[in-house]
Amino acid sequence: MRFGTMFSDIVSSLLRRPITELYPVERRATPDRLRGQLHWDWEACTGCSLCAKECPAQAVDLIVIDKKAKQFAMRYHTDRCIYCAQCVVNCRFGCLEMSSDEWELASANKDPFTVYYGDEANVEAALADRAD
Amino acid sequence: MTETEKFSIPIGPQHPALKEPEHFVFSVDGEMVTSASVRLGYAHRGIEKSTENRNWAQNLYLLERICGICSHTHALTYCLGVEKLAGVEIPPRANAIRTLVAEMERVHSHLLWLGVAAHEAGFDTLFMYSWRDRETIMDLLEQLTGNRVNYSANVLGGVKFDVDEELAGAILDGLDYLEKRTYHYLDVVTTDAAFLQRTRGVGVMSAERAERLGVVGPTARASSVARDVRIDAPYAGYDEYVPNLIGHTTGDLEARFEVRIKELFESYRLIREILATIPEGELTSRMPRRIKANEAFSRVEAPRGEVFYYLRSNGSDKPDRIKVRTPTLCNMASVLTLVIGQQLADIPMILVGVDPCFSCNDRMVAINRGGRSEEVWTWERLRQYGIDYYGGSH
Ligand code: SF4
Ligand code: SF4
Repeated sequence: MRFGTMFSDIVSSLLRRPITELYPVERRATPDRLRGQLHWDWEACTGCSLCAKECPAQAVDLIVIDKKAKQFAMRYHTDRCIYCAQCVVNCRFGCLEMSSDEWELASANKDPFTVYYGDEANVEAALADRAD
Repeated sequence: MTETEKFSIPIGPQHPALKEPEHFVFSVDGEMVTSASVRLGYAHRGIEKSTENRNWAQNLYLLERICGICSHTHALTYCLGVEKLAGVEIPPRANAIRTLVAEMERVHSHLLWLGVAAHEAGFDTLFMYSWRDRETIMDLLEQLTGNRVNYSANVLGGVKFDVDEELAGAILDGLDYLEKRTYHYLDVVTTDAAFLQRTRGVGVMSAERAERLGVVGPTARASSVARDVRIDAPYAGYDEYVPNLIGHTTGDLEARFEVRIKELFESYRLIREILATIPEGELTSRMPRRIKANEAFSRVEAPRGEVFYYLRSNGSDKPDRIKVRTPTLCNMASVLTLVIGQQLADIPMILVGVDPCFSCNDRMVAINRGGRSEEVWTWERLRQYGIDYYGGSH
């Protein structure tokens, strides 16, 4: 039995700077696999909607603009998304990808949480549909 | 002749030693505890019922969130169960990666516990340093899986990502550091005179009592009960990577510290072994979207003990019933009997000794309003009740 078994830890720490980081002044590089905001490559999308079907958080809506011409848009809710990557796994055409550096997604109002993807005309069509 | 009155001390539900809700009532005679009771259920989230409204893939993420500390354990238990239901074999490489994440999770969980337990003993130096070192494994988990908690490593039928040379190297470096620190912590908890006063001979549980109360995990092993699902019923990669059972005979708090810390060395060994001999191959097998009517159970050794899942399918893409039992529920009875005859001040330490996780064990609450009427609420009614309760703001 001894006393002060952690004394040496304390002494060695006196000479070191704190281990905590001064976020947001200091930012550590994020690992490549970090799951941040979802991105959609609409050109490769076939509209199978498997991504939306198995999303546990109903965070992606695939909006069909013109099924025959394979025109789609996507509404993505960053606030609902739990960043699980099930959609990325489900997409057999590799249309979905999660960014490793877009992770500071907090906002003081709700608007930035709804993101539209797709080419301009399709997004406009999707937005117009919503406004009706 | 005066009759001594029973003095009851209610503790909780707000912050009963830990930052999780649970209500205890202890009767005391002076400083000594004479009886104890617990009321569970404050963090009941209706998860089991909700699974019936989600498809098999969606449930993986819901169940992963039963516990923030052993999230991989829950996801793994669920995947093993569903794969059994559907009769799907998963590739050996996926099994090895599942085992790798499971052991890394055990490392972070045991280090987290070490800190919490030290904090309850008033040994905050140990708390701070063990948590600083725990960041090593948290960073590695993040590099490997993309997230510090709720790793989302599994998919039904396999795993999402691979481990490459570079990552393996980073993990091995991290382990070298952690191993050095773990030796130090083992030395601290077994020799520090002030700390030992809080642990040695406190909350002693005999093997016989541990058996009788159905205690699981490191708490049971510290009372010489040889019980570890990884060894008794190997799953995932544990038939290849076999852990040695770490036991102890004294059954006191000190033994629980020693067992958990020594299990860390076993985890380091297993992680190294997995990285050195990981089989090549695919990461996933094909999973059907619908599963024909069947039932299955699965068991996994979580850092706290055995997690048990019962699953029933009915041919649709959603489960018919899922039942979950977490280790804290099995260990709670031991807390209630161990505190009797102990000092009031030892209660937090004895409670923490089983490494409790209250929110995980809260499954269902039966409210007895007198009379015998039994009611079953549908999910829709429960949901509406919740909306009305919070003033219909959603
Ligand atoms: S899974 Fe891929 S191809 Fe199918 S709808 Fe989603 S993004 Fe398009
Ligand atoms: S990451 Fe998960 S929650 Fe987010 S959109 Fe994809 S499937 Fe849905």
